[in-house]
Amino acid sequence: MDYVLIIVIEMLRAISWLVLLASGLAIIFGMMRVINFAHGEFLMLGGYITIMSHNAGVNLWIAMLVLAPLCVGIFGILVERFIIRFLYGRILDSLLATWGLSLLMVGGVTLVFGNTVQGVSTPLGGVSIGAYQVPFYNFVLIGFAAVLMLAIWSVLKFTKAGLIARATMQNPDMAETLGIRTSWVYMATFGIGSAVTGLAGGLLAPLTGVVPSMGVNFVGQSFITVITGGASMIAGTLSASTLLGTISQGMTFLTGPVYGDAALLLTALVLLRVLPQGITGRIFKKSL
Amino acid sequence: MSDAHILTTEKLVMQFGGVTAVDNVDFSLKEGELRCLLGPNGAGKSTFFKCLTGQLTPTSGTIKLRGADITGWNTHDIVNLGVGIKTQVPNLFNGISVYENIRMAARRKHLKPMAKEKAEQMMEKCGVSHLARREVGLLAHGQRQLVELAMVLAEEPPLVLLDEPAAGMTGDERDRLADLVLETARSAAVIVVEHDMAFIRRIAKFVTVFNRGAIFREAMIDEILSDRAVQEIYLGKQADVAA
Amino acid sequence: MEKTLAKDIGFWVMLGIGLAVMFIGPMVWGLFEIMQITQYVVLSVYALSLAYIWGFGGILSFGQAAFFGLGAYTFAVASINIGETTVPFALSFLLPAAFGAALGYFMFYGRLSDVYLGVVTMVVTLIFWKLINHTAGPEYSIGAARLGGFNGIPSIPILNVPGDAKAWLDPAQMFQAFMGILIIVYLCLRLIIASDFGRVSVGIRENETRASLLGYDIRRHKVIIFAIGSGIAGMSGAMWATYQTFIDPNAFSMEMSAKALVWVMAGGVGTLAGPILAVILLQWLSLKLGTMHILNNYFILGAILMGLVLLLPRGLLPSLRLLAERLWHLGRQKMDASAASRKATSDV
Repeated sequence: MDYVLIIVIEMLRAISWLVLLASGLAIIFGMMRVINFAHGEFLMLGGYITIMSHNAGVNLWIAMLVLAPLCVGIFGILVERFIIRFLYGRILDSLLATWGLSLLMVGGVTLVFGNTVQGVSTPLGGVSIGAYQVPFYNFVLIGFAAVLMLAIWSVLKFTKAGLIARATMQNPDMAETLGIRTSWVYMATFGIGSAVTGLAGGLLAPLTGVVPSMGVNFVGQSFITVITGGASMIAGTLSASTLLGTISQGMTFLTGPVYGDAALLLTALVLLRVLPQGITGRIFKKSL
Repeated sequence: MSDAHILTTEKLVMQFGGVTAVDNVDFSLKEGELRCLLGPNGAGKSTFFKCLTGQLTPTSGTIKLRGADITGWNTHDIVNLGVGIKTQVPNLFNGISVYENIRMAARRKHLKPMAKEKAEQMMEKCGVSHLARREVGLLAHGQRQLVELAMVLAEEPPLVLLDEPAAGMTGDERDRLADLVLETARSAAVIVVEHDMAFIRRIAKFVTVFNRGAIFREAMIDEILSDRAVQEIYLGKQADVAA
Repeated sequence: MEKTLAKDIGFWVMLGIGLAVMFIGPMVWGLFEIMQITQYVVLSVYALSLAYIWGFGGILSFGQAAFFGLGAYTFAVASINIGETTVPFALSFLLPAAFGAALGYFMFYGRLSDVYLGVVTMVVTLIFWKLINHTAGPEYSIGAARLGGFNGIPSIPILNVPGDAKAWLDPAQMFQAFMGILIIVYLCLRLIIASDFGRVSVGIRENETRASLLGYDIRRHKVIIFAIGSGIAGMSGAMWATYQTFIDPNAFSMEMSAKALVWVMAGGVGTLAGPILAVILLQWLSLKLGTMHILNNYFILGAILMGLVLLLPRGLLPSLRLLAERLWHLGRQKMDASAASRKATSDV
């Protein structure tokens, strides 16, 4: 019984992990159909901000939950203004440019902080479930993933900003004729997506520590989740995270973590062969 | 005998979300027949064509080409079975020359040396020989229409679909086009979508009128032109403008 | 009427330069230069693989390194096991080509959009990189070859004369052999591009709808293009492995994929000569900058990539051509103008 509970928690953690990793990317993809290839480095930046400000004496939770999203969000807005803005309508070029940015950031952070791992200990300790010990931090991750999804959903559904975002998402030209400044919407979207990614980076920093090249370890999972999910931010992220999280965690139980990613990709390829637009391209079409 | 028909559709339906663009269409065309499709903008004519060529997969219903059920087939498979289409907005290889465009079509059915000959022949026939080395992307709309027509005819398909072929053409080009369509109809079945009445009167005998995605009338051209209901949905607007 | 290969001056110039470098090079260069230039040659073959699929097939792959690395490891494992290099070299083309075809099947038959294509190719590379990094233990061996994880595979055999496993090539001979391969790859690609298959590829790049409305199977076409590119990238990986006699997971790295993109972009998408020039120029540049130890490779590569996209989207060669044309016109206008003004003054 305890073992079953542990497995359920582990599965939930894996799913939440993917939700956290992919949401920021999914927001940007859902609105702009652009994949931010520097996503991994945005995570890395969030992690660095968390750890550096913690080392400088800031409370870990404040660093993680406030500073990381704030700084990465601002950084995202700058990136949108100085790079992405010039490449709207040239999707492949925006992929190339963000990839250039990704390499530049790895190089830049290495120059500044050196190529060494830095970290803090995971806070909050553990909980005993029967004979097993589970880190309490797992529940924090699960909680944040749920809160994040709920927050995005309520913003899109109930606020004026959400309405504008949905209008722009459905038909940018029409939105423009209605007096919505789509370029501002895109800027805000990129900023918010980046902030969410920064938050994810902050949350994962205590688990993995930070190193300039860490992004590479997470982009695979994030990208697969987003393209498997398709263009709908919430339904896509949730359905893909659930499916892929279960599979990768299952593979990890069976064979160890190395093949988890490969299994993810294989699943995604087979799925995309059947549903080229991702899960929400066919199913849950009208959802958010 | 159904094999006298080159094309039949049964209860063909194409929906986009809540909009039904093609609504329960039963259409049939005899081998070698020339048919005109009329109907106001948005009547579903182009969508109907896209279903026939497999660019769209119909929501329901069946399409049979020479007895084979081609519903849901890939575009290239349908084309290889014998359909050629000139799309409403010409689809051409913009970056390359007129000759290369047409040769690429001719090469489908002919070996290399023959393809060259065929391409030159088609350019001559469609009156674009003098443009042979020009880049297609730089041509006028009417010229592009003729180039695309040459490409379609170069493949010698038994079923030719022409979506608004006369649009953007000069008077001379239009005359040439009418002759071409009539000549093509001697060896193949042809469906023409067109709004230009003078042009239709020149080529058409039997006409199908589309309205709101469904077949509204099927009759000889003279009958259609004097049909009040048809005039109301389609010609009526023009008559009003004229008056 | 048709622009044939035989009438293309650029093609003969490239071929002439290639043959001249191949035969005269070893006579005038010292050992160090030969080694250096051999590196450019190998990377040029790699650059051509992407130049072809991107420029002439319209397929933008962010994971060309997957095939480069696969070819390198195939060659390493096979040559260590077999004890000669001819069969492994052939395998290093065939295996990546087959893998490219399989991956291409999923991508093109699924009709994935460009963005998805970019993501999938990149993720494939990432996973290769991750998997191969985890093979450090002795249990990860294929025959006599240990994969070695992040330590890589050392002492990979040097290329030998086909049929004689003892006749290793010396650096000058290896240079000539590789130069020969580069010329053959260039020649083959030019022939493919000029063939009916190549024309249809360009047609597909220009307008997929029309191509399929003419009855061409776009999906199959793209799979073939992708497989050819993958095979060439794999072969260049094998050349890299035998040139260094060592290979490590960096063959699968993001850096390696990015380099191919940067070369092709810098040289100009839609040309073959451009990317080769870009390889020489940028590798030489990064060698010079690298010795300064101020900036690291990633930083430079990222900056160049972003700079190219934002400032020079057409690439170096086409931009230079455009600039030359503009200057030519400007010059002519000026001459006309000055001629006109002279006329005017003489009138007065």
